Amino acid sequence: MSAVPALEVRGLVKHYPGVKALDGVDLIVRQNEVLGLAGENGAGKSTLLKALVGLVAPDAGEIYVRGEPVKLRSVVDAADHGIGMVFQEQSLVPNLTAAENIVLGSEGAAVRRGIYRWDAMRRLAQEQLDKIGSHIDPLARTDTLTFAERQMVEIAKVLRIEERSQHPPVIILDEPTSVLESKEIETLFAQIRRLREFASVVFVSHRLDEVLDVCDRVTVLRSGQSVGEVATAGAVPRELHRMMIGSTGSDDHYHENAAAPVTAEQPRLSVRGLSGKSFHDIDLDVAAGEIVAIVGVHGSGREDVCRALFGAEPTTAGEIRMDGKKIDLPNTRAACAAGIGYVPAERKIEGMVGSMSVAENMTLTKQKARCTGPFVAPKKQATLVDSWIRRLSIRTPNRDTAIGRLSGGNQQKVVLARWLVGGDIRLLLLDHPTRGLDIGARSEVYRLMRELAASGVATVLLADSLEEAIGMADRILVMNDGRVATEVACPSGGKPSPLDLVKEMV
Amino acid sequence: MSTPVAVRPATEPATVKSGPRPVERLTGFMPLIALVALVAALTIADPDFLTQRSLTAAARTAAPLIVLAAGATLVVLCGGIDLSIAALASLSTVLLALWLPDLGGLATPVVIVVAAAIGAVQGTAHVLLRIPSFIVTLGGLSILSAVALVVSGAGTVRVVDDSPVKWLDLYVAGYVPMSFAVAVIVVALIAVVLKVTPLQSWISATGYSESAARLAGTPVDLVKIGAFCVSGACAGLAAVMLVSRQFSGGPTMADNLLLPAVAAIVVGGTAITGGHGSVWRSLAGALVVTLLRVGLPIVGVPSAYEQILYGAIIVVAVALTLDRSRVSIIK
Repeated sequence: MSAVPALEVRGLVKHYPGVKALDGVDLIVRQNEVLGLAGENGAGKSTLLKALVGLVAPDAGEIYVRGEPVKLRSVVDAADHGIGMVFQEQSLVPNLTAAENIVLGSEGAAVRRGIYRWDAMRRLAQEQLDKIGSHIDPLARTDTLTFAERQMVEIAKVLRIEERSQHPPVIILDEPTSVLESKEIETLFAQIRRLREFASVVFVSHRLDEVLDVCDRVTVLRSGQSVGEVATAGAVPRELHRMMIGSTGSDDHYHENAAAPVTAEQPRLSVRGLSGKSFHDIDLDVAAGEIVAIVGVHGSGREDVCRALFGAEPTTAGEIRMDGKKIDLPNTRAACAAGIGYVPAERKIEGMVGSMSVAENMTLTKQKARCTGPFVAPKKQATLVDSWIRRLSIRTPNRDTAIGRLSGGNQQKVVLARWLVGGDIRLLLLDHPTRGLDIGARSEVYRLMRELAASGVATVLLADSLEEAIGMADRILVMNDGRVATEVACPSGGKPSPLDLVKEMV
Repeated sequence: MSTPVAVRPATEPATVKSGPRPVERLTGFMPLIALVALVAALTIADPDFLTQRSLTAAARTAAPLIVLAAGATLVVLCGGIDLSIAALASLSTVLLALWLPDLGGLATPVVIVVAAAIGAVQGTAHVLLRIPSFIVTLGGLSILSAVALVVSGAGTVRVVDDSPVKWLDLYVAGYVPMSFAVAVIVVALIAVVLKVTPLQSWISATGYSESAARLAGTPVDLVKIGAFCVSGACAGLAAVMLVSRQFSGGPTMADNLLLPAVAAIVVGGTAITGGHGSVWRSLAGALVVTLLRVGLPIVGVPSAYEQILYGAIIVVAVALTLDRSRVSIIK
């Protein structure tokens, strides 16, 4: 192996308001190596990757490409240095052909005097596809390809940087497997091993077994720092996981000792045969005080079930009962009135109104709680909001601060509080409630969930990871292709293993 | 059912600063600063400007514009735009002129209610058929203009007996035009109603992030229809002001107020993307626009250049107030 690393990062620092996303990250990618990058959500993985392709300007620290210090100002800049990324959310234009997508942005010989030359373009595209041994027709429209095929096109597109920089490229794959099926994952891994022949690869995945399978080495990130490096030969996922969550996570990260015993009486929520566009015949019971997690891969339909239970997604058949009483949920207002609360996955876009204050966000749904008659009562609002800021220990200068200025964890607590201020919450639907939160904030959200359950709130949880689902839930529903595949009891002390669940998911 | 949640002391100090940043504070006062600067500049150009007579005239000119802009501001705050206000006001002048002989004093409220209803219909079309407000009201602009031409017989409708609307053309305390006073009262009324009810929250949430508002259970659709309804009513009131001043209604009488009204909203600093702004800002914006309008001849610019000015104002004001961090794709 050559002495000069293909890519090296030293002491990279990046601050966001209220968050230190990167706190002195070190990273070495050797030539012809597959380096895994592991870390929980909020560990700084995506910020680091963005810094490597010039999408984020670091506040401090250096990046070296083949020993030379570089400043990466844009994706084009990074490509000139031979660094390219296959994005998690695919970046291909669906209504163009594969060939057009591959040359898009660096048309080169495919355009002469401003005019597209289709032959040259097809040859260029074919060259790239040949590199990865793909048999995709370069003239196929991108939206007719499967997800896995599109990913191959994307890799072929990224490989164009090889011609650009005249050096072996560094290819970054951000969560490439998250929506692939197991057979497609095998193909992708074969591809990665092939890439290693002439390039370096940085591979990011949530699934630790995959990381260990395909990578030569793994660097673990935690709270914006590199906390360790593991040679994958002989390593086990548990070891990696322990490094990822750190010592704070090892003892009762999910507050299991606070789990309330569930008394089986009449279920709080009872769903029978619920069907919609992407889910069919869903049966689901949740008792008061119970936390039921729904797990499933992308496209399993679990998000839509969750939204349907909040009246935000139309249903075609089925029956929903709350405490035995049949209810209709034509819109979100009906759900709110029925004592159902929903915390959306996209906190910044759907969960909160960034321009409004903590107080306004907290009282947005339950206006009655701050009003006297039709009028807002400022004193009543102040007392109410301040009491919830205290009860949930929300760290904010005051109630009138714009919610956008708070850290992610505190924003999420305000969004949760929105459903609590009315005092009539019966069922909480939590769609990835800990997405993008750091470990401390996540732990607080878990504690809150436990306390709410203990007070009798029924919870449906779409967890960020299988570990989280297993840790938090009393019962787990596995969804596959829009249907409930199986139901797994998940009591404290008798938790299933992630592998048991994965079997049913794919 | 109450939800007892244990009190835990905060372990970390708050890392966020309070209050708006200096830049935000400055843009908040921008319309006022512009207003003062304009008055100063006009006074320097023509020392006679700062007299009671010319100020009264300016206030009288500003009144219909203030009302139009205030109503349309609500639609903009909800994240939409109402391009039909001027055409609706023109149609309303015609209707008022036609109905005054028969209805007398009742004609004024009837016209305002009809205008509000037309606004509500447009709002309903926007919400139920899911058509962008820009398109609905552009269509409305065209349709309402044509209706105004048809019912007026394509000509000015004279008002013979203008006594029922005469009061709007009087002066309070001798030199404040009644129409101006009414306009300010309308702005204050809207502002107060928004402030003391949940409407402010609902409108801000709807305009800033409609999906977040919907998922919070906010009555997004009603809020939007309501905004269009008020916008329509304001167009009706502006029409009454115009008729009281001109003793007639005309199918294109208010048409040239569309651009100034939009300019007033954006000069006031209300975000064209919705969610941020106020009717007070539009009041200040309308005064700025009016002063520019009456000021151009004073500094010797032919009034033919007026339209260039409005176009430039709108583009520059949006450029200054647009929060680009929130807009990823500009279409």
